[in-house]
Amino acid sequence: MGIIARGVFKHVGEPPVRIIDNVSLEIRDGEFVSLTGRSGSGKSTLLYLLSSLDSVSSGVVELSGQDLSQIRPEELNRFRNEKMGFVFQFHYLIAELTAFENVLFPARRSGQGEVRKQRAKELLDAFGLDNKHDRLPRQLSGGEQQRVAIARALIMEPQYLFADEPTGALDSASGESVMQILREANTKLGTTLIMVTHDPDFAALAGRQIHLADGHVVEQSPQDNS
Amino acid sequence: MIPLAFRYLMSRRRQTILTLLGIFFGTAGYVVISGFFIGFQNYLIQQMVDNSAHIHIQQRDDYLTAHGLDKVFYGDKPQVLWDAQPAGREDNARIENPQGWYARLNADPRVVAYSPQLTASALFTKSKTSVSATLIGCDPLKQSKVTNILDNMVEGNFSDISSGGNRIVVGRELLNELGMRVSQNVLVSVGTNSPAPLKIVGVFSSGNKATDLQAYGSLTDVQKLNRTPNVINEIGVKIKNYNEAAAMATFWSKLFPEKTESWDQQNATAFSMFAMQNTMRAVIIATVMIVAGFGIYNVLMMTVNQKRRDIAILRSMGYGTTEIIWLFLSQGMLLGLAGAMLGLLCGFIVCKYLQTIPFAGPPGSTKMDHLHIALSWSIYLQGSILAILSSSIASFLPAHAAGELTPIEIIRAGD
Repeated sequence: MGIIARGVFKHVGEPPVRIIDNVSLEIRDGEFVSLTGRSGSGKSTLLYLLSSLDSVSSGVVELSGQDLSQIRPEELNRFRNEKMGFVFQFHYLIAELTAFENVLFPARRSGQGEVRKQRAKELLDAFGLDNKHDRLPRQLSGGEQQRVAIARALIMEPQYLFADEPTGALDSASGESVMQILREANTKLGTTLIMVTHDPDFAALAGRQIHLADGHVVEQSPQDNS
Repeated sequence: MIPLAFRYLMSRRRQTILTLLGIFFGTAGYVVISGFFIGFQNYLIQQMVDNSAHIHIQQRDDYLTAHGLDKVFYGDKPQVLWDAQPAGREDNARIENPQGWYARLNADPRVVAYSPQLTASALFTKSKTSVSATLIGCDPLKQSKVTNILDNMVEGNFSDISSGGNRIVVGRELLNELGMRVSQNVLVSVGTNSPAPLKIVGVFSSGNKATDLQAYGSLTDVQKLNRTPNVINEIGVKIKNYNEAAAMATFWSKLFPEKTESWDQQNATAFSMFAMQNTMRAVIIATVMIVAGFGIYNVLMMTVNQKRRDIAILRSMGYGTTEIIWLFLSQGMLLGLAGAMLGLLCGFIVCKYLQTIPFAGPPGSTKMDHLHIALSWSIYLQGSILAILSSSIASFLPAHAAGELTPIEIIRAGD
């Protein structure tokens, strides 16, 4: 069922400034979509609206057929925990937890800490962190921290993975490594991947690019057939 | 969330220790101050309860009124005018119907024992030394069931006064003031009556100076000395539960002409002092706990600001408002719990040490003693509840503020 946005507007501030202006789109399950545009074009805001972290001023966003504005907070929390993964530009790891504990933390919320331990090890090993499970975030490089953050986003095998400039704070080698991991999550696990990026090369890796300007979708490549 | 809360606390050890110290000192202070004051109060109360009857039944003090004698002198004539209006106290210090009281007390299941007494102010004279003190005439067997006079005997037997024969048992203070010893005779006069020689056959020491300035003789001897045969002016009553004494005394006072006062009503001044002490104790502890609470509040507020990114990522993982609140609230509660446990332990050790310190007793005490420190479990329970409650209240506001944050607010703010 994927993600559907219909006539979405987002205003912020007083007096209200329109950040997203009548955006409608559909992202099918298993797709890899990149959101591109200049700074201030509204691409990150759109990502957060589609991912339930932000709420629309008007319009409808549906995830797996559920209207986000109608969903109860507890149900939304469970949905985020089980169906969504997030990767941010600044990885946001919990400084007091080791890499392994950070990866496992979403699973603890739903009481799956024990059953997901093997999966956490596999993810860290697969991301080249096999000997760094017990390192604290400050003992890891930026690229390693971002890989831990991606492992954390994937621990619950989410249906949707939202990435906000995941390579923005990394050098090119680390950036390519991160993109490789994200692509594999999309192709091998079938995770729907929506990624905000400035980098045209990384955007080109997506199956579909949505380009925004001043809060509008100005171009979709290849053209969405929905 | 508790393991993460614990990690947060451990990651900023200095702040955690300083905050913990606030709760620790507050709790330890509560235990020591409460132990000291309550122990002191319990000691005094025990003295009051043990050394005297629980309820005193006495003839009511009646005073003459301006027209109190009109009827006696002028019958039913109206408008009596006096040059000098009658004034003064009625000299009728006796219980009119003691038999009625004996029957009543015998029938009351709450009463353990009672002792009829004739109490008189007497002048004890030895050579050129005269001491004014209270002489109590009683049946020693009955009196020993009402007070713990037998436990306080340091020389002689209290029952030696039972057979009459002008024998008395005196308090240690009175004996010392007279400069006498057991088996010597002392001249005792009551009112304007001529003095009679009484033989000292025993000495008691209660630890209370006022009590130890008294003397006991047999009821018949004191009645003879006072020239009031068969008269008693007081009945001392011991009851099963001394906490019921005030209620019983008040009830009897409403029903019967005699004045009935419980041990605590007679010592109302001491209880006012206790109330003042308790208020001071509450103020001191509240101040310490408020300061400790502000410490927790400030530290947690800082933590919430430092951990905004964590809050954002936790919310994106599906952790809800309640779980975020609990993450920060539990830090305050962990601090409260740890501070309380350490404070209780330290407070207990200090209390045990204070119990070993020699102490001359409260004002009026004549026995050398040690500090009386209460170690009641209720003090420790109250101390721990106080510590955990104050730290929980102090951490609720920061925790609530953390719970109110939405991930998008934090991400937009670029934290």
